[in-house]
Amino acid sequence: MERVITRFVTALRKEGVRVSPGESLDAVHALAMGGMESRETMRASLRMTLVKNYNDFPKFDEVFGWFFTRDQLNPQAYEMNDFLGALIHIVEGEQLKSEEHRTKERDEPQFVVDDELTEEDLKNLMGMEESEDDSFGADLMVQLDGNRDKKKEAAPSDFYMKSPPTVAYNQNQTTRKEAPFTPEELTDMQEVVYRMLMRIRKDVRRMKEMENRGKLHVIKTIQKNYKHGMVPFLLSLRRKRKEKPRLVVFCDLSYSVSHATRFMLLLLHTLQNRLMHVRSFVFNREIVEITDRLRNMPVNCLLENIDKGDIVNLDDNSDFGNVFKTFKEKYLENLQGKPAVIILGDGRNNYNEANEWALEEIRERAGYLLWLTPEDRETWQRGDCLMDLYGSYCDKVEVVKDVDELSTVVEDLFGTLYDHLDTRAWKGRRRETKEEEPHDYRTYYTRSGSGEPPKFDPNARSHW
Amino acid sequence: MITEQYVKDVLRKGGYIADESIATAVFLALKMEKPILIEGPPGVGKTGLAKALSETMDLSLVRLQCYEGIDEGKALYDWEYGKQLLYTQLLRTQIDSYLTESADLRAAVDRLSAEESLFFSQNFLVQRPILRSFLSEKQSLLLIDEIDRAGDEFEALLLECLSDFQVSIPELGSIAAKIKPLAILTSNGTRMISDALRRRCLYLYIGYPEFDREVEIVRARYPELCDSLTIQMVEFLRKVRELNLRKAPSVSETLDWAQVLSILHAKQLTPEVVATTVGAIAKHQADLQQVIDLAAQTLR
Repeated sequence: MERVITRFVTALRKEGVRVSPGESLDAVHALAMGGMESRETMRASLRMTLVKNYNDFPKFDEVFGWFFTRDQLNPQAYEMNDFLGALIHIVEGEQLKSEEHRTKERDEPQFVVDDELTEEDLKNLMGMEESEDDSFGADLMVQLDGNRDKKKEAAPSDFYMKSPPTVAYNQNQTTRKEAPFTPEELTDMQEVVYRMLMRIRKDVRRMKEMENRGKLHVIKTIQKNYKHGMVPFLLSLRRKRKEKPRLVVFCDLSYSVSHATRFMLLLLHTLQNRLMHVRSFVFNREIVEITDRLRNMPVNCLLENIDKGDIVNLDDNSDFGNVFKTFKEKYLENLQGKPAVIILGDGRNNYNEANEWALEEIRERAGYLLWLTPEDRETWQRGDCLMDLYGSYCDKVEVVKDVDELSTVVEDLFGTLYDHLDTRAWKGRRRETKEEEPHDYRTYYTRSGSGEPPKFDPNARSHW
Repeated sequence: MITEQYVKDVLRKGGYIADESIATAVFLALKMEKPILIEGPPGVGKTGLAKALSETMDLSLVRLQCYEGIDEGKALYDWEYGKQLLYTQLLRTQIDSYLTESADLRAAVDRLSAEESLFFSQNFLVQRPILRSFLSEKQSLLLIDEIDRAGDEFEALLLECLSDFQVSIPELGSIAAKIKPLAILTSNGTRMISDALRRRCLYLYIGYPEFDREVEIVRARYPELCDSLTIQMVEFLRKVRELNLRKAPSVSETLDWAQVLSILHAKQLTPEVVATTVGAIAKHQADLQQVIDLAAQTLR
């Protein structure tokens, strides 16, 4: 029985279900306990010991289906075929094997179990486990599946494997139809976001600790310690007002950044009201606020709506100038606090009016202005790209090409945001270090002369 | 001898209609002494299962409701500082006479530290739910409700308790469960539970029930409703679930509605009946109209 279970677990793992050795032991244990009375019982006991995620249930049912039908018909067949498959594989190499495999599949359509992993696949798999994020997981899985002649939709994240020019080229070629996230993509991303949240939480905790430092609340302390005979074991402090950081995000819906936008939307969906106040906007030619929708709608529905063009007309070309102007007119006045503003877009304005003055006003209102673009520096001035111009108004411009980079950048930003809420001294220290950062584009632009004139520095004078 | 059928029958007696996978899960959890992690939409009977089990199998129910910020002081154990303090004051005279015998300060300190363990003994330990269920003389049912509301730290805290059924207290050492309780964890899936915790549990997903099972559930609770109405009701609710509602009605809503209908002595579902009782199944203002519209379309 152990062998059957091991095989079954291997089959499950091939389908991408994560099963630990401990869980397979549990499964054996459960079956021995009398889980073999009927097929249904066996299915139930295997499922509850091996599969711990509801999303994996369909995969389990599929594997269970073909695995145990086959097994009942001819229990010996596996061994033999498996062995043969392995032999052929060793002797004649992969090419022949896949041919052989194909012919075999024609004879026995259900048969997949003897598909040995090649060494390369194994390496890929190992690499996958080691790597920090799962954003490439889907790709590797698709590649593996391709080896098995199994038709699966190519994951859209394929795009990140290529160099940016090809991406830009391909993006122009693609048709307008884009499905919302596939479930796998969604889980992958959710995992990345989740891990990120875990790391960000550290900053949050520090902020909370800061909040909790306050003066003694005498009355409350006495009340609290009544049962201890007024000996103040438990302290009660006057809390500082809790304030979540504020964030305003603009997402471009045009193709060049569509993937980043999707990820961003998912991220915002998770963040909404959990860690900070976020106001989110999407734009193309027009700008629309989607904060409420993000809060009340599953992210997939929202993306469908966006793809259908319900929110913003997708056939328009993006017009940053207009967007900034409208934002300035409609929203800028009722922004609360000094939010950090993130703009996600390529800065390709389609030869419309630049309206950089509006961006400047936004900048004045914002505590921090960050621009994320998928394009490299060299192309910032080419064609209709106004990145160079817009960039001069930003605190920072980051080149972000994939979900991975995006998550790092956003994470950094959150770290900074939470730091800003720390005590003044700390804030000052932060700002000093920021000035020295080599990637700080603000200093870059001021140096080149297009920004503000260099400030008068008395210390430098006395030094002379 | 416990079998799955036995579990099923016992639960049925308690008014809980279990399907195959629920019965198997309970059966295996009892046999393998492993906790069950139950996930599913709200109101499908996750907590209900635990309650029914504790009633019918004569297990004392120890319930731990999780919330954000729950910690070991609330879940495992706590030291009773007040009592400790009180004892020190009461024993002060005692201590004086006790220490007069010792020759110098060092000896006195040694002598006192020898008795230190006195203040960190079970005497001053407040048992919180998990420890209480571990130490109970009778087998208990430990229900850790809505674990997704608690933080990750709490989840990590549970790992030791759930895999080895023991609690480590630094001052006392680890305390193992006298009789391993049947542990049931429920989650509404508002947050991903970590894999480490999942691995230690049997995983059970309870979704919306099949048609037959739902009818049976209503019959078991409200036998006075006539059969045709029960069937009509469940059929209608299944259609409601297919609507894109903000809060789809689950089993608890079904039962509420059945109760409402039985109080009103309804004989048949009509759009009017639905319109007057819609508050039992739809819980959002936007949903109400959708349900009423559906009733008008389908119940003519």
